Amino acid sequence: MSSRSVLPAPPDRVPIAPADAIPPRPATTLWDTSGRATALRYGLAGALVAIALALALVAERYVLAHLAFPLFLMGIAVAVWYGGGGPGALAIALSGMAFNYFFTEPRYSFYIHASDRPYFLFFVLFALMIGWFAARRRQVERELRLAHDELEVEVVKRTEQASLLDLTHDSIFVRGMDDDIITYWNHGAEELFGWTAGDAIGKSAHELLQTVLPMPLEEIHAELVHTGRWEGELGKTKADGAQIVVSSRWSLRRDKQDRPVAILTTNNDITERKHREERIRQLNADLERRSRELEASNKELEAFAYSTSHDLRAPLRHMAAYSELLQKHASSVLDEKSRRYVTTLLESAKRMGDLIDDLLAFSRIGRAEARKTLVSLGQLAGEVVSEVRRETEGRNIVWRVGALPDLYGDRSMLRLVLVNLIANAVKFTRTRAQAEIELGCAEGANGEVVVFVRDNGVGFDMKYVNKLFGVFQRLHRADAFEGTGIGLATVQRIVARHGGRVWAEGVVDGGAAFYFSAPKTTEDKK
Amino acid sequence: MSGLGRILLVEDDPKDVELTLTALDEYKLANEVVMTGDGEEALDYLYCRGRFAARTKENPAVILLDLKLPKVDGLEVLQQIKSDEKLRLIPVVVLTSSREERDMVSSYQLGVNGYVVKPVDFHEFVNAIKELGVFWAIINEPPPGSMRKER
Repeated sequence: MSSRSVLPAPPDRVPIAPADAIPPRPATTLWDTSGRATALRYGLAGALVAIALALALVAERYVLAHLAFPLFLMGIAVAVWYGGGGPGALAIALSGMAFNYFFTEPRYSFYIHASDRPYFLFFVLFALMIGWFAARRRQVERELRLAHDELEVEVVKRTEQASLLDLTHDSIFVRGMDDDIITYWNHGAEELFGWTAGDAIGKSAHELLQTVLPMPLEEIHAELVHTGRWEGELGKTKADGAQIVVSSRWSLRRDKQDRPVAILTTNNDITERKHREERIRQLNADLERRSRELEASNKELEAFAYSTSHDLRAPLRHMAAYSELLQKHASSVLDEKSRRYVTTLLESAKRMGDLIDDLLAFSRIGRAEARKTLVSLGQLAGEVVSEVRRETEGRNIVWRVGALPDLYGDRSMLRLVLVNLIANAVKFTRTRAQAEIELGCAEGANGEVVVFVRDNGVGFDMKYVNKLFGVFQRLHRADAFEGTGIGLATVQRIVARHGGRVWAEGVVDGGAAFYFSAPKTTEDKK
Repeated sequence: MSGLGRILLVEDDPKDVELTLTALDEYKLANEVVMTGDGEEALDYLYCRGRFAARTKENPAVILLDLKLPKVDGLEVLQQIKSDEKLRLIPVVVLTSSREERDMVSSYQLGVNGYVVKPVDFHEFVNAIKELGVFWAIINEPPPGSMRKER
């Protein structure tokens, strides 16, 4: 027998079978109450008395007298033992009659002489006593056997339950309420804690597992007694010394007098889960810290942009203003060269002013909150084109504005996209006798819509296409085409904020086309 | 156009002060300009405190207010003016380098009467100041109790 010797037998040895499969005990044949058996039992009583009589008569004649008394008593005893009460009574009656007839004076008569009456009475009483003893003995034996049967059924039942408990992966053990001594230890507990049932049973659970309680044991016991159960997380130590965290459920077991006797403890290892939770908590804390850092750096950036807007512009304005004043007051005394210097000063100041404005506008796109509504790109393009037309009076520009989609986005930002793209088209077609600018849209992949602005201007070399959308990146010399190089960067930033992307195609001296994509407007956004 | 209103200029940068006066001078508006270098001084003037304790009690016809000021900044001055029963009728025009939307929004929320971004280009600057001066000091009828000088 292995160490798992106490209540649970090894699963392979205990058939999981219904309780009624327990083989019935063989019937005690003579104790049967069927008609045939009854006749047999009474017959036996008669036969036993007859045998006792015969032996007594033989003994009286050949051996020695006075053996009749014990022989009849033996017959009665055997009749009661094997036949029971009824046959016993019959045996007593028959023996009494036979004893009276054959062995008491006057013999061969049922009359009892006065002097023999006490002797006969004594015989009958003794016979009754023997009969009673035998019957009682019989009764006790029967009860004992019944108790044994019940016990056996109970054992089988419990063994079965225990083996079922062994099947679960939960670790289950039972320990005394007062002494904390382990009385049951399932297979799951063995797997979880590394102690076999043999190691664990008989030991104090808290000592064996070095339980770390989240609150005083008295409080737990108080709750247990009050509600019958307790749940919590406990620290435990395994046989190999590893420390684990278990989710523990305690159920109180009471005896028939309702006294708390034992605690059934179910444990699940949640060490891994705890670790994961801890990792998640750490990651969250990390994320929170980073987001705070990001927020701080955003604030700094904002403060930087703000102070740029204020403080950088002021000296610039002064440079421009005083150069202007100098030009006005001293132009008469300045020679041609000096006047050009002053003009250059003025131009540079103006250009720097433009750069600062553009840069601030660009940074504002990243910082500003996008107020998204449904925007009709067609209407927006119409506005922008008619504005540009007024500014380009005198130039020969053919406008082809196709159907444009409605987009979900920030109106002023989307307007800035169109302004930049159209202004670029106007600028880079300046050298053309007849400029052609086309706006249109096409179906894109993945439910996107693509909008393009195409011109027949000076175009660009495709090997520089990657530089087009960078901040302050320019593909033309400043004296050929003015600009700060921030327009397309702004376009890209806005389009990215709207969940789209930008790209361009161009041929040197063969025109350019700029595309941007945007998610299609769905009904629910309207 | 019965007279010339007094202009209170709140500006900490002496160059800006000079340029503003230059612009105003082109229309002979510079003589009626009171200059204060920070928010505290501006409030001293308005409440006749400190070096302005002895001044005549009339309010200026307009206040040209820079936002970025030492000690008490422009928005605080504006808030003080607009929450004072005696001062809140004085027209206040913010004159600033900042094109920041939040400055603009805050100013209008506080009840500013105008918001002008100082142009980098001097011609534009001069024009802006000149028009401001002409409008607020000459064309506009200031609320009763304002300083006004017969031309």
